[in-house]
Amino acid sequence: MEDQQFEQEWKKGSGEMLILALIEDQPRHGYDISKLIESRSAGSLHFHVATLYPLLYRLEKRGWIEGLWVEKAGQRRRRYYTLTPEGSKILERQRSSWKKFVTAIGMITGVEHA
Amino acid sequence: MPDWKQEISERLSILNLGPESEAAIVDELSQHLGDLYEELMSSGMSAADARKEVLSQIDPLAAEFQKTHRPTSAPVETVEFLRGAPLTGLWKDFRYAARVLRKNPGFTTAVVVALALGIGANTAIFTVVNTLMLNPLAFRNSSELVAVETVEGLKSGSAPRVLPLSYPNLLDLQERQQVFSDVAAYSLAAPLTLVSGSRGERIFAEFVTPNFFETLGVRPVLGRFLGSADAGPDTDPVAVISYSAWQQRFGADPNIAGRVLKLNNNTVVTVVGVAPPGFKGVTVLFGPDLWISMAAARVVSPVLQKSLQDRGEPSVMVASRLKPGVSQSQAQANIDTLNAALLQQYPELSRNRALRLRPIVEAAQGDRRQSFLVGSVVLMIVVGLILLIACSNAASLFLARASGRRQEIAVRLALGAGRGRVIRQLLTESILLALLSGAAGLVVAYAGCQLLWSFRPPEVAQNIVDAKMDGTVLAYALAISLLTGVLFGLAPAIQATRADIVDAIKESARTAGRSRGRVHFRNLLLAGQVALSVVALIASGLFLRSIQRAYTIDPGFQTDHLAVFLINQGQAGYDRARAEEFYRAVRERVGSLPGVDSVSWSSTMPLWNRAARNVQLEGQEPQRAQDTPGVIAAVVDPNFFSTAGIRVMGGRVFSSADRASSEPVAIVNETMAKRSWPKQDAIGRRFRFTGDTVSKRIVGVVKTANYTGLGEDPQPAVYTPLDQDFSASMILWLRTRTAPSQVIAEVQRELRQIDPQLDVSDARTGSKIVDQALFFARIGVSLLGVFGLLALALVAVGLYGSVAYSVNQRQGEIGLRVALGASRPDVLRMVIGQGMKWVGIGLGVGVALALLLGQAMSTVLFGVSPADPVSFGGALAVLTMVALAACLIPARRAANLDPQVALRAH
Repeated sequence: MEDQQFEQEWKKGSGEMLILALIEDQPRHGYDISKLIESRSAGSLHFHVATLYPLLYRLEKRGWIEGLWVEKAGQRRRRYYTLTPEGSKILERQRSSWKKFVTAIGMITGVEHA
Repeated sequence: MPDWKQEISERLSILNLGPESEAAIVDELSQHLGDLYEELMSSGMSAADARKEVLSQIDPLAAEFQKTHRPTSAPVETVEFLRGAPLTGLWKDFRYAARVLRKNPGFTTAVVVALALGIGANTAIFTVVNTLMLNPLAFRNSSELVAVETVEGLKSGSAPRVLPLSYPNLLDLQERQQVFSDVAAYSLAAPLTLVSGSRGERIFAEFVTPNFFETLGVRPVLGRFLGSADAGPDTDPVAVISYSAWQQRFGADPNIAGRVLKLNNNTVVTVVGVAPPGFKGVTVLFGPDLWISMAAARVVSPVLQKSLQDRGEPSVMVASRLKPGVSQSQAQANIDTLNAALLQQYPELSRNRALRLRPIVEAAQGDRRQSFLVGSVVLMIVVGLILLIACSNAASLFLARASGRRQEIAVRLALGAGRGRVIRQLLTESILLALLSGAAGLVVAYAGCQLLWSFRPPEVAQNIVDAKMDGTVLAYALAISLLTGVLFGLAPAIQATRADIVDAIKESARTAGRSRGRVHFRNLLLAGQVALSVVALIASGLFLRSIQRAYTIDPGFQTDHLAVFLINQGQAGYDRARAEEFYRAVRERVGSLPGVDSVSWSSTMPLWNRAARNVQLEGQEPQRAQDTPGVIAAVVDPNFFSTAGIRVMGGRVFSSADRASSEPVAIVNETMAKRSWPKQDAIGRRFRFTGDTVSKRIVGVVKTANYTGLGEDPQPAVYTPLDQDFSASMILWLRTRTAPSQVIAEVQRELRQIDPQLDVSDARTGSKIVDQALFFARIGVSLLGVFGLLALALVAVGLYGSVAYSVNQRQGEIGLRVALGASRPDVLRMVIGQGMKWVGIGLGVGVALALLLGQAMSTVLFGVSPADPVSFGGALAVLTMVALAACLIPARRAANLDPQVALRAH
């Protein structure tokens, strides 16, 4: 129960940054993004469809990411998301403030920062 | 693979994202779900568990989107709207309703088609009622217009006879009255021959006083109307032409004013103007092509001119406009002083007669008023039933859909919307649908009226009034559309919002429809539809049987092998010598044609007569009204009775010995003989026509025939020989050896050879005459038949939809039954049995209602019992078969269900 609550709070604050970071290097589709979040967090973070896509659309609407339908030979048509220049700036800003935040938390609570 | 798109769509539907936006989201998310499902399956999860897991991911979909998604392409309502804040207005409700309806094109179409047929049928019939009954005369301030008529037999105890005025009485009225601003008069529409080139064609004309148009308050579209300058005895005959005649006979010639028309053989009238479109004179049904100045009757119609001079001859109808502030009763009081003066001055002519006022519309409807009224009421009831059936169909569809929208409604209620607010939204949808249907219904009504009016006999089509689809009709269509919307929307809306909120949110939409109350309500609607359609079908059946019986009535003359030619030599300007020569030539030449058995002239047309003359019996002083009975008077040839097939009951028929110089004789019918000389022999008795000085001796008695209409009450009739009672307006009767239609062309050829200028086109066979006598009845019955079928079709569709819906809802249960060993026949029996149970209840209620209606209609049924077993049995059989067929299709689908598939899906 506590874990669940934690996950929800966690996602609320960091979901945007996670998505922006995951598509920084290469465009990815929604399913890919959700799988990466799950695998890179070793299963401790999990985005439901009903959470992920509204978030993606919100980011797109703000102009931070851009979704494009892509057809590849032998594959289904999929919507790939790429980072826009504005999105890059936002990601940078979020990363640095996150680092500051984690450092501050670590200094207060005595947890080693990652 | 489950249908992810469907699942996502269902969950997003509440958001009304707009089609493009929603499609893109559905596309993207369904791929995600598909990937996830495959992955779960390949990890060894069962299909059912994988499906459950995937669906759990999208359960809160709408709520999440509600928080975040604001598509730019289509506006999404705010949470406040979903909750139904009081500030959101009706306009927003309408926009939302429009979007919901657009998103469900199948549902919208089904409802609109059913309702449009119902509203269309109602509006079409209402248009007829409006044209004939409610608003037949579109004159300026027509409430000020009254008719002045002669009423005869006021003291006789029986219903008084209503007649026109005599022309001398009209002149007295015009001179002495103080209550009217205008008193105008017009004659009956009479046929005239319009000569163009060497051919004659028949047109209809009324002779009118110069103030006719001014009194009615109409304006010409071209040229001028008549004026006082046209009234003088030496002025040239002038005429106003009807709009439709101008359009059709003269190609809307802009130079029609001033054009000279050649009428009959030797008279001409000058057209001075064109009447406005739709104006047919003071009539609800049939108007003339020409209005000729009354003064011109002297040259154009000597027959009318003669009767205009006779104070005893009622020859003109009178339309008067009341002075401002004068009531009808005040005007009648003024007329009564004239009545007293006439009685004093002309006691013999005025004894049983008086002038009387009544509203002009009633006068124009005349004795058709009663049958129009009955016909209108019956037809309005039947189309009302159809609309109710259509409403209940729509309500049923609405209810089914409301079940599907239960989650949406529950979310709204949960968000704090008042029940009234949600009902208002649902009602807005039903009213919007009803208004759409109303618009489509108007198109249906317009097409229906076009079709109905296309049944006008083509030879007089332009003389028959146009359908009046005016503001009254539009207001009616709007009113019944709104009423319909409330009627079919309210009950489902109340039902849908009664749902338990928590249950609805928990339940899946698919199973929500099976709540007991809702099913019950749908079944009640179904039974109601069946009951109403039974009533409609039985009513159609009863009238159909009535008209069948009407065709078997013996009219008292033989209709087979009979042909009648309306020639009107008198209108063609024949004088007596020429007419007599013409009669003789026709008797000889037409009588010797191979297919012709016998030929006779008669002044009367079968089933087209009215009691026009009164007789005074010798030896009986006319003290009471019965002493001067109104009789049908016919002038005939010696062999008329054998040609017409009228049986001679006593005495002799006319012979060539009954000449102008011999004793005046007459033949009467049995009714006249019995009424005038009860229990005595009429032969040898004498009488004279009122106004005549010479009395006639009765030499024969013939069987009473039908004179005015089929199945009428017996009327007294008097026949006089042509040689003693000359008429220049005779109708040719033929008895043929072969089918009369084979002989007609040959006879017409012969007649044209005798006089090429005569219009001989109007020839009717005996059966056509009977058809025409039953014209309105046939139209009425055809309409009832069409409406009966419409009701049946609506019920079949409703029943099918209802049973199919129920089968769809119960797939799981049916699958379970089959899995537990129910056979296909068992399933068939169960589904059909449950559908037919309600049909049976509907049939029972319908029969009870039809028995009640039948009692109410018994006076207008002809020769058929209101509980006629054929009509009842037929209607029940047809409905049962249609209902069985409608249940069978979904029942078969249910019986063919694969239990595994059905159970897995549920």
